[in-house]
Amino acid sequence: MKSYPYLRAYMAGITIPTVMLIFLITLFTIARYTYNLSNPIERMIVFPMAIVPNLWGLWNMLFLRLRSSRYLPIGFHGAILAAVQTTIALGLFKLIDFEMPEFAWRAWPFAFPVIAIGFYLVWKHVVSFFNTLLGIDG
Amino acid sequence: MKHLNDEQFGKFIKDAFPPVTGDEPSRDLWPRMLRKLDDSRPRFSWFDWVLVSLMALLCLIAPGAIPGLLYNL
Repeated sequence: MKSYPYLRAYMAGITIPTVMLIFLITLFTIARYTYNLSNPIERMIVFPMAIVPNLWGLWNMLFLRLRSSRYLPIGFHGAILAAVQTTIALGLFKLIDFEMPEFAWRAWPFAFPVIAIGFYLVWKHVVSFFNTLLGIDG
Repeated sequence: MKHLNDEQFGKFIKDAFPPVTGDEPSRDLWPRMLRKLDDSRPRFSWFDWVLVSLMALLCLIAPGAIPGLLYNL
């Protein structure tokens, strides 16, 4: 399998957020329609549905591109994505006038390190595993 | 228009798609695939365990961080 390495990198990158999406949508649906959560979460669902998987795919393609020169290990590459992605998410919320719930703002100083560590571990162990499986050694 | 019966149609299909030959791998590739899967299995270092503990601690202090992580994954 030596051809189309960028396509393979894209596919390896989108796997985790695509699988997670099923669970996330289930949680959102339960929160909205069973517990009558007042926030209009449908407006922000486009972010995990459309932007996150593509961003992960493109980020893995970028890793493949940068890996040829001396570059960071894949875990740190993933941790940088946490900063990029949360910035895009907050920008999107501002753009669509979505108000984050109060508990989310209060948890933000803890949430960001949790997201960065989570991304580091997922990229180091899971995305790297998919890369190896698809012939792109991470 | 010529109509073919089942037998003629079967022969027509067989002639159109010759049997695939010579594409068999020279050896069984499955053991190699299993070895590859085994080699790429995640191995946690002490640093990863420290990070997992830190993440668990932060989630305990602020459970609101968990939806934040799920939303971004």
